[in-house]
Amino acid sequence: MQQKKAFWEALYHQLASVKLTVILLLALAVGSLLGTLLPQGLSPAEVAQRFGEETARWINILGLANVFQTTWFQMLLVLLAINLVVCTLDRLPKTRRRLRHSEKQITPERLEKFSLHRELKLPGGLENLRPRLEQVISREFAPLKPVEGTGSYGAVSEKGRWSPWMVYVVHLSVLLVLAGALVGSLFGFKGFMTIPENEQSSQYRLRGEQRLAELPFTLRLDNFDVTYYETGAPEEYRSDITVLENGEEVMKSSVLVNDPFTYRGITLYQSTFGSDLATADVQFTGGKPETAAEVALGYGETVALPNGDKVHLMRFARNFSGFGPALAIAVLRQGEEPVASWVLADRPGFHGNEVGGYKVEVKQLEQRYYSGFQVRYDPGTWIVYTGFTLMILGMGLTFYSSHRKLWIWADEVVPGTTRMMLAGRSSKKGPDFERDFERLCEDIRKDLAEGEKEESNPS
Amino acid sequence: MTSSLTLSVTTFMYLACLINYLSGAIFRSRLLLRAGTAVGWAALAGGTLGLGLRWHESYEMGFGHAPLSNLYESLVFGAWCIMLVYLVLELRTRQRALGVFPALFAFLAMAYASFSTQTEIQPLVPALKSNWLIAHVVACFLGYAAFAISFGISVFYLATAKSSQNPHPKGMFALLPDRRTLDALNYQIIVFGFLWLSLGIITGSVWADQAWGAYWSWDPKETWSLITWLIYAAALHFRAMRGWRGRRVAWCSIVGFGCVLFTYFGVNFLLSGLHSYATQ
Repeated sequence: MQQKKAFWEALYHQLASVKLTVILLLALAVGSLLGTLLPQGLSPAEVAQRFGEETARWINILGLANVFQTTWFQMLLVLLAINLVVCTLDRLPKTRRRLRHSEKQITPERLEKFSLHRELKLPGGLENLRPRLEQVISREFAPLKPVEGTGSYGAVSEKGRWSPWMVYVVHLSVLLVLAGALVGSLFGFKGFMTIPENEQSSQYRLRGEQRLAELPFTLRLDNFDVTYYETGAPEEYRSDITVLENGEEVMKSSVLVNDPFTYRGITLYQSTFGSDLATADVQFTGGKPETAAEVALGYGETVALPNGDKVHLMRFARNFSGFGPALAIAVLRQGEEPVASWVLADRPGFHGNEVGGYKVEVKQLEQRYYSGFQVRYDPGTWIVYTGFTLMILGMGLTFYSSHRKLWIWADEVVPGTTRMMLAGRSSKKGPDFERDFERLCEDIRKDLAEGEKEESNPS
Repeated sequence: MTSSLTLSVTTFMYLACLINYLSGAIFRSRLLLRAGTAVGWAALAGGTLGLGLRWHESYEMGFGHAPLSNLYESLVFGAWCIMLVYLVLELRTRQRALGVFPALFAFLAMAYASFSTQTEIQPLVPALKSNWLIAHVVACFLGYAAFAISFGISVFYLATAKSSQNPHPKGMFALLPDRRTLDALNYQIIVFGFLWLSLGIITGSVWADQAWGAYWSWDPKETWSLITWLIYAAALHFRAMRGWRGRRVAWCSIVGFGCVLFTYFGVNFLLSGLHSYATQ
């Protein structure tokens, strides 16, 4: 029982230590570094092909081709989160106690023990000096709060009491970013969809899976446009889209790079584009009985010729083995096996432009664009963004503010002479506060001494 | 007057600044250090003018954008940031002998920019057309500049370790502030850099969310900026541990600056990723 308690206490101390924080930060740095050595997301087969079986085995055991999804990397993040929470639970009550601590008694002996203290001997009685002292300190530092003591005068003054809390804001912000990422990965999705011009679709492919999923609405690509600078570099990619619900148009919008479109929480990003074949006008000559016909073939379409044979446009190649655009055309004749062949569109005289007894000539190709969209739903984004905002605010405030406190004790040791003891402490140690403290003491000395002179010689 | 001429002159001004600071430190001459400061401000003015002209010229070419869009422009801007942050620090602390490293880095950045990168002004590719460009690049480079200065302070801090018993070091380090001040300055400048690096990563993340549909995708550049962030976060936490100040923070800062350089150059040339426009 005793041992068990000791174990938990030791574990708590480990989890609440800054040492663990530093170790975790450096371990995450090393882990992330490992994640940039190999291209991430390679499949085990690709790894084996590139690095050989033996190396691949180690790469797969350590997850080097997928570092950021491995258990060990995510455990480091979880440990960091636990470390942050335990540190906060451990230190927050201490900070609270320190700030709530009320001064009982201020004595010169106690103030002398401060590393930053100064003693002043001032002409004048305490009763006369007191209002001016309070005036100077509230002007140059913060209002003085008297502390009831024994006989003599004691007071404290403090600035930036909120400052010690700010470091907790920064730590909370890190937790929020991690939590937001977790929410996003649990409840969100990422996918990809392509739509050809003038077609509509509501299907997208989930990332990392072969599965197709369905959007709660339908999109139609009305127009895709790409413009170029004179240099030939791309200037803008633009997809004009229409949202349809239950077959009715709901909204028109456009999607550009850096200007995504959001509907019902789902965001579409302009990602890729390309062109494919819309229709081809093809002339068929030959067959039995002999016929000559020009037909408009859509991609994947089958059309009947006047003599009863059917022709089918199977595939389209933008550049077939360096011979330019080509169509794969099949001829289907009743009672015979279908025959198919590639037909070169730009070389009408090519002897191979023959399929199933027909001489085939491509008269015109009509291409159309298709546009590729990244599709995303991430309910954790706003949590992450709240974390980002708090992180910057908290960091700025924690780095550039401090809790500064001043203790003052004074007594009229001899009638007409006051002995004063000042001490100061800042949550940020360093030369800045030392300088400010010295300056303040000097101002008090000058101000009170001069004020006393004026009062004693009312000329 | 063109931006390229102005920036060429500026490169030599950074060199003059470096020579002044270096000889001031070696010959223990406050006058030379003072000259270094003066030339430093002049070089900063030259850099400002050069960047301003380049910005203006891009508008005259019909596709105006801030001069922060490729490797050349970012190097020129990086040199400018290092000089600016250093000179403001010098103004606040009156410690001129720390100028050697900032002037060296500013000069090397400018020299590298003019020798081995594409210097023509080019229009922005669609991915860079965003208001986040300026915020992201400015925040990152202010952070990098602070870390470059911290690197210099750390080197001085470690180099004076042997003479730490001697309150008045001789030789090249005679005009340096004492080690306690060096440590305090190092912490201050790391804090400054850390704040800006955080802002740089966050603006980059929000921008990536808008452009690519993911605020974080473990792209090599993103990952290396996170590694840098983690190292400096560790350096800041060292301060909270008893007896871990000084040396360890200095070593952390040196390793951290190595990560900065790798994030900036190494990732572009050795690893492929989304930040490809930074290689030209």
